[in-house]
Amino acid sequence: MITKTWKMIFTLSLRLLALTATLAATLVMVTAHDSAEVLNFTFKAKYSYESAFKYFVVAEAIASGYSLIVLFLSSKNSFSRLVMILDMVVAMLLISSVSAAMAVAQVGKKGNSHAGWLPICGEVAKFCNQATGALISGLLAAIIYLLILIYSLHTDYWS
Amino acid sequence: MATQGGGKSEVGVNSSPALKPKDWVLLSLRLVAFFATATATIVMALNKQTNTVVVATVGNTPVKVAVTAKFQQTPAFVFFVVANAMASFHNWMMIVVEFYGHKIDYKGLRLAIIAILDMMTVALASAGDGAATFMADLGKNGNSHARWNKICDKFHAYCDRGSGALIASFIGLLILLIINVMSISKLLKPKHTAYIGVP
Repeated sequence: MITKTWKMIFTLSLRLLALTATLAATLVMVTAHDSAEVLNFTFKAKYSYESAFKYFVVAEAIASGYSLIVLFLSSKNSFSRLVMILDMVVAMLLISSVSAAMAVAQVGKKGNSHAGWLPICGEVAKFCNQATGALISGLLAAIIYLLILIYSLHTDYWS
Repeated sequence: MATQGGGKSEVGVNSSPALKPKDWVLLSLRLVAFFATATATIVMALNKQTNTVVVATVGNTPVKVAVTAKFQQTPAFVFFVVANAMASFHNWMMIVVEFYGHKIDYKGLRLAIIAILDMMTVALASAGDGAATFMADLGKNGNSHARWNKICDKFHAYCDRGSGALIASFIGLLILLIINVMSISKLLKPKHTAYIGVP
């Protein structure tokens, strides 16, 4: 049936987009690093120096591996419920990791005067820009996963 | 008038103002999730600690300054309070609709609306939890690379209350996830119940 083919194509393209976004987020965050000389000590910035960014990288890597595996799974009915539940878990993982990384990145950009935390983006601007790009990609990945969930609910309910 | 699961079809005639729901498991889970998220909201919203610090000594009298730690100083905690407040409001409304909402005409979309709203609430609650967890970790351990000092050694009670709110919120999130899976499985059950009431 032609509508079934279109639905499969749409789902596949959404999942491909999600794979691209999660992969991009992982790679861009992992390769982001910068160092600067402030007064007389070196100020280095890498994703592994902050646990929220480590969580972000791990979550995006898990999500991209999962997206790759599910891409090769045809829409057999025996797996579709399991895939939907796993989709929900992965979407939740993605959303929480993006939120956590954004919270810490906001402190890095604006600082927190009450806690005496100075912003670091002035010194390590290259790291900040790449981290921002990775976060945007991660946010897009989370939105696409939510769309995948809603669309699979729609196709299952009104099939 | 045999219905399956917790849904009530619009075909039935009901004169009583409140109904006995058929799905007590889901309802009690929603109650627990409501209490967990409401606890998290309230504990974090009332989280405040003031320390007096001696800044200098003028003659014989020390000059004291009051330093306050409030949840409003961290945007992640504000988002945490808002997200948990919305999650508890959602659960409260779902419980109310389960008891009193049988007269509203949903045009057959009742289970779909509940499933989608549940999904949005899970997304919101998980975002709030994630942000608040890592901000709390930053406050507890600091970040030596960024020269950010920890604050939990000076504000013990603030940090303890914050951790309590976080734990309550995690419990609420887990139960919200279970509720979401249950409402989606109710939505996608086999459709032979749709023909009840057709003469």
